[in-house]
Amino acid sequence: MSAKIQQLAEIDRVIHEPARLMIVALLAAVVEADFQYLRNATGLTQGNLSTHLSRLEEAGYIAIEKSFRGKYPLTICRLTERGREVLDNYRKVIKAALR
Amino acid sequence: MVCSTNLFVELIMTHSSSLLHQEDPNAIAKRLMQKAHTRDGLPEIAVGITFLVLAGLCWLQEIFKHGTNGYQAASLGMVLLFPALAFGTQWAIKHVRRRFLIKKVGYVEAKPVNRKQRGIVFVIAAAVAAAVTIATYIFIRGSHSSTAFSATGWLLAGTGIIGGAGAAFLGRLPRYVVGGVIMAATGIYLAFSGVSLNAGFAILYGLIGLLSLISGCVVLLLLVRQPAQEGE
Repeated sequence: MSAKIQQLAEIDRVIHEPARLMIVALLAAVVEADFQYLRNATGLTQGNLSTHLSRLEEAGYIAIEKSFRGKYPLTICRLTERGREVLDNYRKVIKAALR
Repeated sequence: MVCSTNLFVELIMTHSSSLLHQEDPNAIAKRLMQKAHTRDGLPEIAVGITFLVLAGLCWLQEIFKHGTNGYQAASLGMVLLFPALAFGTQWAIKHVRRRFLIKKVGYVEAKPVNRKQRGIVFVIAAAVAAAVTIATYIFIRGSHSSTAFSATGWLLAGTGIIGGAGAAFLGRLPRYVVGGVIMAATGIYLAFSGVSLNAGFAILYGLIGLLSLISGCVVLLLLVRQPAQEGE
């Protein structure tokens, strides 16, 4: 039990932040989503969401791509393989520690 | 070290919202996605149209006598139109969102449905079809005996209660819960009112359809009237 709890000390701080966890959890459930969808789904402000997305992109957990749908600019985000691994690991550690 | 990790666990529990750490990230994602999915009212409009069409077909079955061409056309329409609407509206919602509401609701590409999920849907559809067949069999048997009223009543009340509970459970929003309660109450009322089965279903489905359509239109109207948010 103690070893499982101690694993929490090494938990990934990037994904552990609630807003970033929401973003990563959402992106894990879809193929891709744009900025507007993430903003609606998470309820974060524009600035907050931008900051968290940049942080996740820097860590290599998500990939961001700018494109257009007609005249509408899209900032499309998708979870990378690394991001998926980190989320799976995070889920396992939290579940084991809080069980 | 143990002390510090215990403190850390406490920190997690207090610092982070309960929404995020009492549940699996998958559950969080599903809840957030469902909230986003119902934000524009389009699913309710689709459900409303589907149920109004179903109510119309039930009403046609009530008007035309059993065995007439009109009755058979209504029955055929029910068999063909209902599944077509159920699946077609999903496609329509996706395209309406991408064509007209992308600035408001954003863009999302859902994961393709895998075999396991398809299997679950198929099993549920088969179970519902079996339940309807059994219920209809009971009703037809009952209609030849003195228990005809109770068989009709059971079907109407059962549909109202199961449908209402389903709407409240799946929707998980106050407006869905209210709709579910109204559906259950209407089903029970119709069960005791002595209406015929088809007329009862027409009223029940018509009411659900109308409520759903109005609710969806109000939500959509509110969303459309919202000032556009600044881009990222």
